Amino acid sequence: MTDERRRRLTFVALAAVLPVCTAAAIALGSVSLPLGGIASSVTAALGIGTSSLEPVGETILWAVRLPRVLLAAVVGGGLAVVGACLQSVFRNPMADAGLLGVSGGAALGAVLAVRLGWASEVFLALTLAAFAGAMGAVLAVYALAHAAGRPSLHGLLLTGLAVSALAGAGTSVLLVATDEFRVKTVIFWLAGGLEGRGLVHLRLASAFVLAGCALLALMSRPLDVLSLGTEEAAALGLAVSRTRLVILGLAALVAGACTAVAGSVPFVGLVAPHALRPLVGPRGRHLLPAAFLGGAVLVVLADLLSRATSSRVDLPLGALTAFVGAPYFLLALRHGGSRA
Amino acid sequence: MTMHRAPRALLCALCVLVADAASAAAGAKPSRIASLNLAADEVLAEILPLERLVGVTALVDEKGTSNALGRVPASVPRFPKADLERLLSVRPDLVIVSEYTDADFLELLEQSGVRHHRMKGLASLRGIRLAVLDLGEAVGEPEGARRLVARFDATLATLEARLRGAARPRVLYWAGGLTAGGGTAIGALVECGGGTNVGAQMGLVGIEPVGAERAYAAAPDRILVGEGWESAEALRRHPLLSKLAAIREGRLVTMPTELLVALNHHSAAACWDLAHRLHPDRVPAQLP
Repeated sequence: MTDERRRRLTFVALAAVLPVCTAAAIALGSVSLPLGGIASSVTAALGIGTSSLEPVGETILWAVRLPRVLLAAVVGGGLAVVGACLQSVFRNPMADAGLLGVSGGAALGAVLAVRLGWASEVFLALTLAAFAGAMGAVLAVYALAHAAGRPSLHGLLLTGLAVSALAGAGTSVLLVATDEFRVKTVIFWLAGGLEGRGLVHLRLASAFVLAGCALLALMSRPLDVLSLGTEEAAALGLAVSRTRLVILGLAALVAGACTAVAGSVPFVGLVAPHALRPLVGPRGRHLLPAAFLGGAVLVVLADLLSRATSSRVDLPLGALTAFVGAPYFLLALRHGGSRA
Repeated sequence: MTMHRAPRALLCALCVLVADAASAAAGAKPSRIASLNLAADEVLAEILPLERLVGVTALVDEKGTSNALGRVPASVPRFPKADLERLLSVRPDLVIVSEYTDADFLELLEQSGVRHHRMKGLASLRGIRLAVLDLGEAVGEPEGARRLVARFDATLATLEARLRGAARPRVLYWAGGLTAGGGTAIGALVECGGGTNVGAQMGLVGIEPVGAERAYAAAPDRILVGEGWESAEALRRHPLLSKLAAIREGRLVTMPTELLVALNHHSAAACWDLAHRLHPDRVPAQLP
């Protein structure tokens, strides 16, 4: 099969699978909604006919289920695009938003909001504090890495690790000193999940994630050049530092927004690009849209599983993506090892 | 854009309808009450006709945690966590939540047309008393709540009379390295049970970590732990804390955990239980 044909087939498959998964995720959960009823409710919303859903079903569909499923798609897509971009910039298949300090900073912000009681008193406090924490950590990485002049990629990586470790230490200190009743809120957030997220969260996250992903997609050509290496990119006339800064800034915004609304959702940024790169190729203009669709499918399905089993067992979204992601990586490693 | 506005319009219309219905019924007793808070479960199990209870926490069936074991019929749905979809599916008109429930979750609940009542201010016996009365008002059963509070007041008054003039041992609450400082229900329990809260003496506020060295230096007369947390065993094995006189001389106070964590009218029984353990000469085991 030619590369072009494989790429087209992959996009067709992803474009078909995402709506199917989304429809299934909207219909299924701890409370099932009939597909016919959902369709009638949607058409009724468009002014055609009347909804056959019961009022409870209508409320669950429009106030809870639909925003949550769409948010899962946005978060998954955003994290996957960020992963793909960072892997190109750092030329490292294991790079993800954690390297920029996003996850650690967001966790610190979230724990602070819970510790100070804002999360239980003020609407969106947890989300906004997590976002502020993520952005604060990214700015700290940038400032510290540039303190000793223009940093290398390794310098950025190590600074990111150091800032993440500091944020992790701060999170631990705050967690230990937090009321046991409040700690549960933090644990749910740290484990990743979309419970209690609605239209406002969808709007907020979409604004950052969709705009950020679109801008990153527009930068796919410079991203390809960057993935050749710093010297090669500079030799080809690319303003390496500025381009890298813009890409990392956009990636931080997207990842910060995703983490702020969903907590820690690991492995999406690693698995989706890694699985799709052999199918659509490494070039940004193909990889980024494919990663977005793949990441969206992954998180929509993981959230569906988390919701559908919630009455019997607590399976946080972040744990589910890790359950899928970690074995995938072990398999990929084994496969790569045997080929080597 | 059309797709975006249409669901919004429908959602707004739904919310208006639900809100209208809710305001029309505002004067009426809530008829379908769900609780996401164990302290509220335990109160509701005593004051509410159970056909009006449409949800409780899964903790209500947990031995060693719940003071309402076997009091809520199995037909009432249990909520292991705040799952909004499942909650809406039982069609509650009032949801009781805790002081710590996420504000985003509550906003979504309101947007879905469901009222909520927070059970809060549970860091003192006075606060607990008021919270039980408030809950009674919120669910339309003020008489039932007043009955519970009258029993609570009577128990505490009897206890106070029995403990008048008694020497107060210095009690350190210990739960895996955490202790209760000032402004906590457990601190209030210690004081009410005839002890002096060492955590508050240390200047701690809230449930806070206390290092083993600090705990050792405080030299408490008694150490209070919950049953089943393995705290007692951990203390006896601890290289430093095992050397405390309170541990060596067996002055460890182990309380039933469901009483230790009670944050409602059962707190009076908890005070009584602790007072009996600290002052057996003045307080009998059985409540009057």
